[in-house]
Amino acid sequence: MSDTDIVESLKRDLGAKALELTNPAVRRIFFKVATADLVPAVTLLRDKYDCAFLSTITGLDAGETFEFLYHFASPVTTIHVRTAVARSDPRFPSICGVIPGAVLYERELQEMFGVVVEGIPDGRRLNLPDDWPDGQYPMRKDWKHVRPQEIIPGGES
Amino acid sequence: MSFEIPIGPQHPALKEPISLRMTVEGEVITGVDIRLGYNHRGLEKVAEDKNWTQNIYLTERICGICSHSHATCFVQGVERLMELAPPKRGLYIRYLISELERVHSHLLWLGVAGHEAGFDSFFMYVWRDREIVMDLLEMITGNRVHYAINTIGGVRRDLDEGQKAKVLEGVATLKKRSEYYLRLGATEPSFVARIAGVGLLSYEQAVSLCATGPVAKASGVARDVRKEDPYAVYDELDFELCTADTCDVLGRVVVRVKEVLESYKMIEQMIKGLPDGDIACKAPRKAKPGETVSRYEAPRGENIHYIKANGTDKPERLKVRAPTLGNYPATVEMLRNGFIADIPLIFAAIDPCICCAERTVTLIGARSGEESVVRMSDLRRKALARPLNAGVKRNAVWPF
Amino acid sequence: MAVLRTLLYLLVYPGLLFLFVYSTFSEWFDRKVYARLQNRMGPTHTGRFGLLQPIADFFKLMAKEDVVPEAADKKLFSILPAIGLAIVSTAGLLLPVWNFDLAKAGWTSFPGDIIVILYLLSLPTLILFLAGWSSTNLFSTIGASRVLTMLFGYEVPLFLAVLSPAILADSWRLAEIAAFYQARPLLLLANLLGFLVALIAVQAKLERTPFDIPHAETEIVGGTFTEYSGKKLALFRLTFDIEMVVASGLLAAVFLGGFPGGAILGFVQFVVKTLFIIFLLSLIRALTSRIRIDQVISFAWKALAPLAVLQLLVTILLKGFLP
Repeated sequence: MSDTDIVESLKRDLGAKALELTNPAVRRIFFKVATADLVPAVTLLRDKYDCAFLSTITGLDAGETFEFLYHFASPVTTIHVRTAVARSDPRFPSICGVIPGAVLYERELQEMFGVVVEGIPDGRRLNLPDDWPDGQYPMRKDWKHVRPQEIIPGGES
Repeated sequence: MSFEIPIGPQHPALKEPISLRMTVEGEVITGVDIRLGYNHRGLEKVAEDKNWTQNIYLTERICGICSHSHATCFVQGVERLMELAPPKRGLYIRYLISELERVHSHLLWLGVAGHEAGFDSFFMYVWRDREIVMDLLEMITGNRVHYAINTIGGVRRDLDEGQKAKVLEGVATLKKRSEYYLRLGATEPSFVARIAGVGLLSYEQAVSLCATGPVAKASGVARDVRKEDPYAVYDELDFELCTADTCDVLGRVVVRVKEVLESYKMIEQMIKGLPDGDIACKAPRKAKPGETVSRYEAPRGENIHYIKANGTDKPERLKVRAPTLGNYPATVEMLRNGFIADIPLIFAAIDPCICCAERTVTLIGARSGEESVVRMSDLRRKALARPLNAGVKRNAVWPF
Repeated sequence: MAVLRTLLYLLVYPGLLFLFVYSTFSEWFDRKVYARLQNRMGPTHTGRFGLLQPIADFFKLMAKEDVVPEAADKKLFSILPAIGLAIVSTAGLLLPVWNFDLAKAGWTSFPGDIIVILYLLSLPTLILFLAGWSSTNLFSTIGASRVLTMLFGYEVPLFLAVLSPAILADSWRLAEIAAFYQARPLLLLANLLGFLVALIAVQAKLERTPFDIPHAETEIVGGTFTEYSGKKLALFRLTFDIEMVVASGLLAAVFLGGFPGGAILGFVQFVVKTLFIIFLLSLIRALTSRIRIDQVISFAWKALAPLAVLQLLVTILLKGFLP
């Protein structure tokens, strides 16, 4: 199946739920869904479009909203599902029931952006240390780190 | 009597710090808890403050063994964002180095697997041969690790006839020896007894846990980014996808050695078919707004970079997912119901590149008194800052 | 005069000084063979051909800081290396190199001394277990339990294999066994199977690849030796080197016809024969990979023990036919 066939098929299956369905490059298909339709869309991709392989989940801080991109790969193309949550209420469902391998990526999203993934099997921190203070979400755009002033003994800093 | 054994963060079996807490009963493992974070360096956040060229150096230093994979994956994506078409010769050289890196990485892994299994003679022989590859890489790029040959729009160094002849010679020697290792690894009785049936991961588990690379291939999952999503020169080369169906460490050894033999074929094809022309084209300073997903088959599996540009000379977001992170859930599954004695072997069989797997956030600044981790990250950031001002030579002619 | 001879025997040859020097030499030989088989150099720079390397290692370790873990049983922890060294050195005294009179039994050569030497060579395994146990470190405990598990595997084949030539020679005294085979060298071939079994079992006793699970570096850090450092570690390593020499000496005395010819010629024969056995042990070490503990036990009971019993049967049958 070529990309255009897959795009047509997705339009038929998802209808109005798939917003901004684009095919910007060879083997790259992007579309957006609301968070309520996320799990059904992923289940459809896994069962009908042979997308059982989740590459990763990217989180983006886009100001008023957080955007999440789920990157799936099938043997003929790659499909990327976008969803957005408001900054004030960042909750969205987990896809671990459909794709068990997604748990690590969702844990990373939780600790880096401060979002809440509902239904995640294991919600501990992944990369940050155990005594990292709560409320600090490093990948948000407003979290800046100021490098401490370097003190070189006996010289200019 | 069940008790918890900590493997890591410091352990002779691990090349990098990672903490695996195993709950054991006698010699059988009943549960595994992987705790990451010891190798955090905050690269994704740092990448947002550096321009495109500086980011090549940053991504190269995500890892030592697969440095070229990350740099190439990044540069591929940026070239797509900037709508550049690098010249054919540059692309051939770039992917020649990729295949040489794959050979070096797999030979390294083979030696390490031999060492973990206690087969030190195998380890010594394989690493002696790896020196041939390192010498070739040093001859072409000037470095044994961190080749620094990529630039946006092509490569920085050219190949001449003498170098091409040397590469072909080196590959011919290595081919004979690698075939010997394939026979040895698959038939030496004490080695096979050690690695057969260890670290089982069935086909269904490999698919549902999103395993990638040789780990998945050894379970029969025939997926390779070079075949599915051929980038640049791979649709012009003739090679096979190697799988095994034993689903254990022996299968992973066989898959990697077969991949090495395929890489030799590809290297020969690339050298013999190297087109003439420039090696790089000029790249603009700023990238048009847009986003791109770049996938690459690193020696350990699928490497994916997501890059978003907003019209400036710095990326808006760089997301890196190295293959080892994708293999961690599969590792937990493999370790369960195994023996303690098999832990290093199973863990080494996924070819862990732990520093690839954890890059997301700056570790410094949140703590006040904690010394060790802070200083390590500080040191790493200082190391990153050093090549900031290195100029990039386009169309550099090899002076010898 | 007798006192002087006894002192010479105890302290010089084959006593402490000789054991120290010869065991460091055999460690050098083992490391060199292992390295050359792996296309490496091995010890090269310390002394001519690197001969002084093991001695240098020993003195370096003696000079390092000795750390005793807080939770460990201090007295037991500290005394074990010395006891181990004492045991293997005493076992070395029982080898029939010189100063024994074939006609009458003495202190170092008496009927039953083959049993005593086997017993003394089993004790270091217990010492290793206690060393691992008293360290109260998780990895040492696992290493200690593996040491004892291996003991259940190789001990029986080793005993059966070593005692078969004794049965054929109709004596439990090492010197008499050696003299028997010196008189009838062809009968050595009857013990070939036992020799192979004993070689493999000795490799397991000395904890060398493929049987080096108890201190497998990549799995359990250092196994029983994890917490040992400085002088104690130096003494332990010396204990194991001397154990290698004594075990090879035992095998040479029983399977290769002993060391005839008095003090000087006997010494040359001792060196040549033990080096040959150490060469075989190094070959096995270089050519195989480590196997798991359950595989050791199943190999020992399914392969080694039946072969040792077969050797015993052959010996008994042969005894029936001999004059």
